[in-house]
Amino acid sequence: MPRLLNILTSKPNCGPVWVAFVLLGISVLNSQAKIVLTVPQQVSLSANFFSQQLTISWFGGEATTFDLIILRTEFNETVFYNTVPAVMNQDGGRHQWTWTSVEPLECTSLSVKIRSRDGITKSEWSEPQILKGRDLPSNSVQQVYPQDKVVPVGGNTTFCCIVEEGNEFRDFLYGSIKMNVKRLSRRSYVTTAVNQNLSGPTGTNVLCRLKNKLNGSVIFVGYPPLPTNFECITNDLTSAVCYWDGGRVTNLYAKRKTSYSINKRDCPDGKCVLPEWDGNWTLLAVNPLGQYSLTYSAELLHRVVPVAPVNLSATDDAWNTTVNWHWPYSSYNTLALLCQVQLASHNILLRNFSGVGLQSVFLPHLHPNTKYRVQIQCGSLNHFLKWGNWSKEFNFTTKSYVPEAPDVWMFVNRDNSVRVMWKPLTQWQSHGVLTGYEVTLWSLEENENQTNNLSPKDNSLNLTDWASITADKKAIASVKANNVKGMSQPSSIMLGLIDDKCAPLAQTIYTSSGFPLSWQHSDNSTGGYLVEWCEAVCTSDCAVDWIRLDAGSTHVSIKDSIAPSISVNLEINQQDCDVVLSWEEIPLAGRRGFLLGYKVYRVNNFSNFTLLDDLSPEMRTYTVKDLSTSTYKFTVKAYTSAGEDTGGTAAITLKQCADGLILEILTSLGIVTLLLTTVSCFCYKKRRWVKKAFYPDIPEPKLPGDWSRTQGPMDVKPFPHSMVHIIEKPEWDFSKDTLVIIPEEEDYEGEGIGDEPVDTDEPQLLRYYNQVVDERPIRPRFPDSSVSSSSSVDSANTDVTYTGIQTSHSSLVFPSDSQGFSEGFQPHSGLSLSSRNKGEGYHPQMHSVTLGGNLASPEPIVEPHAVGSEGYKPQNSWLLDSPTEGDENSPAPSLGSPTSVASTQFLLPDRERHEEKRQQPSSAANWFTNLLSSAKP
Amino acid sequence: MGNVMMAVSRTKVTAVTNLAALVEHECTNLLILYRKQENLPEDMESDRLVFISHPSSQLDTKSKLQSLHTGLGKCYSLLERAIALEEEELDGVETTEYKNTRGRLKGELLNLLKSTGGLLKAAGGKPIKVLDDSEPYQPSNLFHLKLWVYSVLMEVKFWSSTAIALLRELQAVAAKEPPKKSKKSTRSTRR
Repeated sequence: MPRLLNILTSKPNCGPVWVAFVLLGISVLNSQAKIVLTVPQQVSLSANFFSQQLTISWFGGEATTFDLIILRTEFNETVFYNTVPAVMNQDGGRHQWTWTSVEPLECTSLSVKIRSRDGITKSEWSEPQILKGRDLPSNSVQQVYPQDKVVPVGGNTTFCCIVEEGNEFRDFLYGSIKMNVKRLSRRSYVTTAVNQNLSGPTGTNVLCRLKNKLNGSVIFVGYPPLPTNFECITNDLTSAVCYWDGGRVTNLYAKRKTSYSINKRDCPDGKCVLPEWDGNWTLLAVNPLGQYSLTYSAELLHRVVPVAPVNLSATDDAWNTTVNWHWPYSSYNTLALLCQVQLASHNILLRNFSGVGLQSVFLPHLHPNTKYRVQIQCGSLNHFLKWGNWSKEFNFTTKSYVPEAPDVWMFVNRDNSVRVMWKPLTQWQSHGVLTGYEVTLWSLEENENQTNNLSPKDNSLNLTDWASITADKKAIASVKANNVKGMSQPSSIMLGLIDDKCAPLAQTIYTSSGFPLSWQHSDNSTGGYLVEWCEAVCTSDCAVDWIRLDAGSTHVSIKDSIAPSISVNLEINQQDCDVVLSWEEIPLAGRRGFLLGYKVYRVNNFSNFTLLDDLSPEMRTYTVKDLSTSTYKFTVKAYTSAGEDTGGTAAITLKQCADGLILEILTSLGIVTLLLTTVSCFCYKKRRWVKKAFYPDIPEPKLPGDWSRTQGPMDVKPFPHSMVHIIEKPEWDFSKDTLVIIPEEEDYEGEGIGDEPVDTDEPQLLRYYNQVVDERPIRPRFPDSSVSSSSSVDSANTDVTYTGIQTSHSSLVFPSDSQGFSEGFQPHSGLSLSSRNKGEGYHPQMHSVTLGGNLASPEPIVEPHAVGSEGYKPQNSWLLDSPTEGDENSPAPSLGSPTSVASTQFLLPDRERHEEKRQQPSSAANWFTNLLSSAKP
Repeated sequence: MGNVMMAVSRTKVTAVTNLAALVEHECTNLLILYRKQENLPEDMESDRLVFISHPSSQLDTKSKLQSLHTGLGKCYSLLERAIALEEEELDGVETTEYKNTRGRLKGELLNLLKSTGGLLKAAGGKPIKVLDDSEPYQPSNLFHLKLWVYSVLMEVKFWSSTAIALLRELQAVAAKEPPKKSKKSTRSTRR
C-alpha cells in the first residue's frame, strides 16, 4: 500500500489511469454482485381442468424473464420448456404464466419448475410443484377425459384413458375407428382425434376398452351459431315482433343447442315478441362453441305489417256487393291502409283499395246468381313494407236477376218448314236458374196469337202448323226466358222466306283463327248482317249457329261450332321386311277444311317425329321398307292449309323376316365352317403336339417278324423288364406260333410288387389279349369280383391297361383267323377268370409278369385255360414311343414298368374286317384318328 | 297355479303372454337400433338395475306374479327416466326410428304392466302403482348416461323374457288340469 501510494506520488501523471482502473474494478465487483439472480419463490399452480389451462404464479425478484419447464412427473418427460417474460400480477406482485395443455390435465401428474433468467445468467431451478393427475394409485378406477366436450368442426381433441388398477389396456375407439395411442404414465394412455367431422346428434362416443371393462366419453362436434336475416316488425303498432333465420345448422342439440336473446330478453328459436317498440335491437346467439350478434334499427311506422282482417261479411246484391271486416287492434283506425281484395269465381280478380282504417270495400260489376270467394290482405299505405297475412276465405253468392233476352233466329228446313231457334242462355245471361221459355207466335194478317211454354232445355220450336202462314203471310215469333226473378225482355223475329241472292262461298280456308268469310258491302243493307252456318252433311234437325254483325261489316271469322277433326284410323301390317300402313278416308264431317294430303311420320324415342313422306290426299297406303327387327311406331296426319290434325298412330314389332333368317343361317354356317377349318389346320400343323398331348404312342411289343403276312411263330421282342406270354388260339400250331421271349437282363424294379414271391404254380404271364375294351374311357382296375379275386390269387399279376388310343394296326399284327374273331368277342362284363373258359369270352387284361431277370423259359408258356380257348384273344400291345423301336436289339426306353394304363383302343389282328365289324367311332373321329396315324413317322 | 287359471281365462293369459312377447321383440329391436346409433360393441355388458327376486324363486303363483309385476313396474319407471334424460341431454330435433321404437316400447310395457297387474289381482295379489320412489338416476357424464340407458333396455328385455317364461308356465300348468265334467254328460253316458 505504501508502495502503491509511492507509485501514486512518484508518478503523478499516471494517477488518473489508476483511479480509472480502481473505479472500473469496483464497478465490476458491484455489477457481479447485481447479476446473482434469485430463485423464484412460492411457486403455485392453479388448474382449470375444463379449459385444460394451468396457471403458474411465483415471486421472482428482479428478473425480467424466467425459464419454465413442465414435465410429466411419472416418466419425467418434458412437456413444455420455454423462456417466458415476467408478467407481474397486479395484486401482490406475483409473476404469472398460463399454459394450455394439449392433453387433459387429469391424465397424469405434472411437475413445474421455474428459474430466473437474465441473458445468459440464470438462477437455480425452483423446487418442483406437482399438479396431481387422476392416475395416482389412490384413484384406482378407470377414467376417461375429457368428458362431454363440445368442439368445432375441424379441430383436434386429445383423450386420455386411465386404466383401472390391475386391468389391462385394450384399445381406444373414436366412434368405430380404432385410434393410435401413446402412453403417458403407467396407467394413462392418450389418443388424438384430428380434423374432427360433425358428430351424430347424440355425440360421438370415444370408447376406452380394457381387457374386461369399458368406459368412455362423449364428444360433440359442431359449429358456432351464425344467424341471418334479423328484422323486426309490428303488427299492432305497439309491440315488436323480431324474426331471424338460424343460418348454418350447428349440429348441437339439447343442452348444447343455440340460445337466443334480444336486448337481453331470452327468445325461442326464430321469433321473439317484445312488448315495446325499442327501435334498436341486438340479437345474440350463443352456443358452447361461441356467440354471434346481429343488430337492427327501425321506426315503428316504417315496419307496420297489418294482421289479417277478421270476421268478413258481405251485403248481397245482384250486380255488386260490399265486403266488410274487422280489425283486432283499434290502433288501425288511424292507420292509412292499402288492402288487396282477391275475388274469385270463374276467374280470379285482384282489386286494391285504400283508406284510413279501411274496413269495407264495394265490389261492383258482379254477375247475378254467382258464387264468389273473397280474401283480403292489407299493408301500410304510407310505408309499405309487405302484405300482411290473407284473411280466411269468405264465400258469398250474388242475388238472382231477370234473364237477358235470348238471341232468336229462324231456320228454314229442307221441307220448307220453319224452325224458331234461340241460343241457350249462358250462366252469365240467365241470371239465375231458368224455369223455361215462352214462345209467342203472332200472325200479322190474322192477328192471331199462339203461346208455347217450353222447358229450359229447349232451344228451338218447329212451326209445322204455321208453315202455310209463314210461306205467304208475315208472322212474328217472340221468345222470352223465365227464371225465379221473372221474364226477360222478349226477343222477336219476323218469320218468312229470306231472299238470299248472295252466291254461296264455294270454298273457304280454315286457319287457326277460324273460317274467314268476306263479302261485298251492300248499300241496301242497313239493318246489319247475320251469318248462319250448319253442317253441310246434316239432313235433319241440324245444329245451326249464327252470328249477328253490324251493317258495315264485310267479313267475319267463324271459330266456334266447327266440327272437331277426326284423325285417320291407321292400320299397320308386316309384309316380309316391310311395314305397310293403310287408312281410310276421313269422313267429310270430320275434316276441318280441304285436305291437302297426308304426312307419314316415324315416332322415335322421346316422341320425336321423323317425316317419312308427304302423300297426296288420294293415297291410302304407304310402305316403309328395309326395316330391321325391332318395334316401330308410325303416325299418319292429314293436313289442310291450316295445319295437321293430331294424327293416327300405330305400332308394330317386326318379326324376323325370311330374308334375314336365311342370311343369318348362312352366316352362322360360314362361321362354323371357318372355325372347323381353322381348328383342322391348327391340328394338322401341330399334329405332333396334339398327338403327344392327346394321343401318345402306346408301346407295343417288338416282333421279329411280320405277323400279318406269315403264319410263322411270333417273335415278340419282350420288354426287357418282363416276360411276355402270348395267348394264342388253340387251333394254332404252337410250334410255329409262339412268341419269342427275350430274357430280361436287368432286374425289374416294380412298384412294390417286386419283392413278393413269384407263384411258380401259376406261370408269370403277360397275357396278350386283343381285347374288347370297356368303352368307358377309364375302367376300374377290378371291374368285378371275379377279376378282383383272381387278382388276389395271383398276386404277381399286374393289371395292364392302356392310356392311348391305338389305331395303327401295323403296330401289332395277328394271324388272320376270321372264325376266331367271329367267336371271340364277348362283353367285358361277362368275363370271369375263374371260369377258365373255352376262350370264347372276352378276357381281361390280366397279365402275369415275371419279376427279375431270370425268366422261366425262353419258350412261350401257355396258360392252360387259354390253350383250350377258342376264338379271338384280346391282347396287350405296347407301342414304342421312339421311332427307333424297329431296332430289335435296343431295349425300348419308353417301356417302363407295366403300370396300369387305360386303353380305349381295340387291338385287332384283322384290321380290315374287324374295323368294319367292331369299331364304331364317328366318321369325324375316324378322320381325326387317321390324321394322327398319318402323322406318325 | 291352477287357481289363477280358474279365475282368469286362458285366453287372457295367452293375451298377456303375447303382449310380453311383443315387448321383448320391440326391446330387442330397440337395442339393435341403440347399439347402431351409439356404435356400441356387441359384447358390451350391462349393469343390473332392478333388484327384485326372480319370480322363479317364489313358491306360489301369487308371489311369482307379484315379483314379475314389481319387476316390470321398476322397468317402466327406469324407462321413463331414461327417455326423460335422453330428451334432456342428448336428443336432436329429428324424429328417428330409435325414438319411434322407444315410444312404442314404453306404451307396450305399460300395457304389459297393467295386464300382469290384472293377473295378480285375480290371483289375490295387489298391483303396485307405477311410481318409483327410489332416487332418480343422475348421470355423472353423458357416456355413463348412455351406458345406463343401455342397461335399462337390457333390464326391460330381461323382465319381458321373464314374463313370457312365467306366463307360459302358467299356461302349461293349466293345460295339465283335467277338464271339468258336467253331471249331465256323466249321466248320459251311463246306460
